[in-house]
Amino acid sequence: MVSVLSGGDASAQDVIQGGADSGSALSRGMSTFWQYTGFSNITLGNIVMLLVGLFFIFLAIQFNYEPLLLVPIGTGIILGNIPFIEGFQIGIYEDGSVLNYLYFGVVKGVYPPLIFLGIGAMTDFSSLISNPRLMLLGAAAQIGVFGTFIGAMALGFEIHQAGAISIIGGADGPTAIFASSKLAPELIGSIAIAAYSYMALVPVIQPPIMRLMISKKERLIKMKPPRAVSKTEKILFPLIGMILTLFISPTALPLLGMLFFGNLMKECGVTDRLAETARTKMIDIVTILLGLTVGASTQASVFLTKESMMIFVLGAASFIVATAGGLLFAKIMNLFLKKENKINPLIGAAGVSAVPDSARVVQHEGLKSDPSNHLLMHAMAPNVSGVIGSAVAAGIMLSFLM
Amino acid sequence: MSYLLDAVNWPQIWVITAVGYSVVFTALILLIFVFKFMPKVLNMQLKRRLKKEGKYVERTEGDEPFIAGEVNAAIGTALSLYFSDLHDDESKIITIKRVERRYSPWSSKIYNINNVLPTTHR
Repeated sequence: MVSVLSGGDASAQDVIQGGADSGSALSRGMSTFWQYTGFSNITLGNIVMLLVGLFFIFLAIQFNYEPLLLVPIGTGIILGNIPFIEGFQIGIYEDGSVLNYLYFGVVKGVYPPLIFLGIGAMTDFSSLISNPRLMLLGAAAQIGVFGTFIGAMALGFEIHQAGAISIIGGADGPTAIFASSKLAPELIGSIAIAAYSYMALVPVIQPPIMRLMISKKERLIKMKPPRAVSKTEKILFPLIGMILTLFISPTALPLLGMLFFGNLMKECGVTDRLAETARTKMIDIVTILLGLTVGASTQASVFLTKESMMIFVLGAASFIVATAGGLLFAKIMNLFLKKENKINPLIGAAGVSAVPDSARVVQHEGLKSDPSNHLLMHAMAPNVSGVIGSAVAAGIMLSFLM
Repeated sequence: MSYLLDAVNWPQIWVITAVGYSVVFTALILLIFVFKFMPKVLNMQLKRRLKKEGKYVERTEGDEPFIAGEVNAAIGTALSLYFSDLHDDESKIITIKRVERRYSPWSSKIYNINNVLPTTHR
């Protein structure tokens, strides 16, 4: 503090000297102190980002939009945009700072697989096992990934950056962070913020597209209740799923390996304690660290760029394309199905892997058309297959571009 | 922008897109096949075991191969209600109760060793 008050090259003795000297030293000290404060260093970009952070927190608290993500991210944005003088190991991009150490888990792709472990330990795949053909909807919605890839290339992004941006179309935050940490680390902040923002806005983005593409008659289709799934099937699913998908796309190993491992712990019945930890305490800790550091990585000087704006536009387009792709494929599937096996095309929207928000949106839209038509269980099948699909898509992007 | 678009190797982009999208489909279609036939394989095994044990009953036409989810939910609710009834209703008053104890002379002063020793009065 003395060194700050003393004003750079002036010594502490200057402050305690008497007469006119002390007055000038004090004013110099105060002026230096002022230069160290956030008020002195603030830029317009910082103000914009602080407002964005506050807006995220407002959305989370007022409208309950993904509060577990938006509160840490919003707070992180505020922390990352408090102006400071560099060189004191404070900022997230300064080597040796606390935030920099925590950010390591994002940059090196440590957090996303841990999140996937927790997701695996909390996901019930029974609806998917009971009606496996609904997995096709999860695959169809990945058109969002590849459509965004073409769009990003057309907008002039470099091919690795385009690959990283494309994963926003999978509507899966951890996968998008993992892919961008490998392909375009300089864009992690923008990609993560775009992915999580649009995931939070799924209840706003998807319903208009659903109403536009699905007729009233189609929305009333009632699906057969899913059959009960045996314990053996539930145990075999993660094992077979792990081996099959990873043999096809080994680059998705950290994500899918952890997802299926988490699910095996949940279903095998002898590792309840481990599954409980993975789906509660562990995923909570990692979500806090991931959200906070991703938010803090959006320093205005790094984040407010033309590229970030383009990523946001591409992100919105990718969510729309992915939703439309799932809905369209569900309509096409219905052309080949017998009358008693027809599916409600609304569940195609759940093919984007924003679990479980998009399934919830499907349920909500289904109930609007027919208050006795509950689609949640059916929608969970494409929803969780979307998680697998987006991780496979990310793995393919990595294997092509790394 | 047109310069940028010219510089892009578009054939490569289309190949990545086409191959990538088909691989996603292939992975999930393989899973569909496995899980479509798995119940049949598991049922065959179960049937063979039950036949061996002589407990196998031929299924009549029209029977559901599995219990429907709604039936399961109804059974689950009924069981939950039944088991919750088993739990005894507590008074919810937590306090120290005075307990009557049988008299135990193990530390009584009457039986103190001083009382046992003979005293001499002269």
